Amino acid sequence: MKVIVPIIGLGGLSTIAILAILFAGLINAWLGQPLPVLGFEQTFDQPINFPHTKHAGPVTEGGLGMDCTYCHRTVENSSSAHVPAVELCASCHRAIGSENSEELKKLRESAGIYSENNQVIVDPKKASPINWKRVHRLPDHVRFVHSAHINYLTNNPGAIKNIPEHLNIYGKENVLSSEVCSTCHGDVANMEQVHQVEPLKMGQCVNCHRENGGPTDCAACHH
Amino acid sequence: MVIENKDRNWGMVIDTDKCTGCNGCVIACQVENNVPLNDQNKFERGRVMSWMRVERYWEGEFPEVKARFIPIPCQHCANAPCEPVCPVYATYHNNEGMNIQVYNRCVGTRYCANGCPYIVRFFNYWEPIWPEEMRNHLNPDVTVRSRGIMEKCSFCIQRIRRGARKAKEENRELEDGEITTACQDACSTQAITFGDLNDPESKVSKLSKDDRSYTLMPHLNTDPNVIYLASIKENKEEFQEEKANSHD
Repeated sequence: MKVIVPIIGLGGLSTIAILAILFAGLINAWLGQPLPVLGFEQTFDQPINFPHTKHAGPVTEGGLGMDCTYCHRTVENSSSAHVPAVELCASCHRAIGSENSEELKKLRESAGIYSENNQVIVDPKKASPINWKRVHRLPDHVRFVHSAHINYLTNNPGAIKNIPEHLNIYGKENVLSSEVCSTCHGDVANMEQVHQVEPLKMGQCVNCHRENGGPTDCAACHH
Repeated sequence: MVIENKDRNWGMVIDTDKCTGCNGCVIACQVENNVPLNDQNKFERGRVMSWMRVERYWEGEFPEVKARFIPIPCQHCANAPCEPVCPVYATYHNNEGMNIQVYNRCVGTRYCANGCPYIVRFFNYWEPIWPEEMRNHLNPDVTVRSRGIMEKCSFCIQRIRRGARKAKEENRELEDGEITTACQDACSTQAITFGDLNDPESKVSKLSKDDRSYTLMPHLNTDPNVIYLASIKENKEEFQEEKANSHD
């Protein structure tokens, strides 16, 4: 210190200290942003590696082309798009799917399905829910309602964003519920692991509400 | 078409003659709006949280004494004393005649609670804690307020939003009486009525023009949206005399 202080002076030291604090603040703010804003894909290792590509992917690319609302059933008439119960997965997968698949073994286990004497037995007592990790999470003080947004977007397809390439909805007046999801969730049907595409911050919500004449009263979402 | 943009003036009429003081509205409000539970510690410190409270007073001299009750939620004043004092604009009036509290804006200065003459604003001095078996009873449509922010009766805004959304999805206007508040549903004597005061045909606006109607603390000129109906006196002149005196 005896050497440094005379050289750069106390003024220089305090300037460095202030700059260091500012830089730390900047880094903190940078990291505080959700990762998709920075161009990274934040993926989660789910307990069962569910392939959206196989289920909802377009038929031309080897998917089944299932409608999003087949599994996320309450999305059209409820505030939340529920993750389906294991029973719904099991309704197909007690018969469909390879016996040796690791992921399907986990699914059958949590649905309570096992085979005995060449018979498939479903035992609900052995069933247990899957602990899916949540990918899209809004803060607790926001009330987002899926049904209202889907109702609006299906009748106003002009407001839909991030339209996937395989969908042909241009120029239509009414679209299906499953064709509007991409506005906020991106092209989930072509994601190996689901990740957040849009920042889903308040600025994005308010911009879209202003463009489309949605309510911008605070109490429309915060209550 | 866009129902949210229609100017409404939500109001409540409480008939104090019908009120039996059962406190059902208090409990219903607490359950509906995730209001934290009160324990002895909170009562002793005067930090009780209840968006709706029932005040009791005695009328007449012993032995001819009558208990009278008056339920007091947030009055949703048109000239609210709580609004101009907020430094962060966390409480404001929207185009539906409601006094809104934006929880995520609130910084907890408590100026609004000091300004409120009805004492219906409550500050979260502690992080709200529920018993383990009640965790799953919380209403998912209402934010759980954390420590350090102010809260108050919202006229069950989540129910208003739900009703408006349903009407919009079915492409129709909201009907009078379609939206009910939790306290109204719980009231065993139907003393509470809720509706749009801007609509001259609604039940609340008809009741609010009743002879018995009055508002709390009219001399402060707060112009509340909660209107009370006086309890019926045996002789009418006594009531009219009282009402005339209250305006002085």
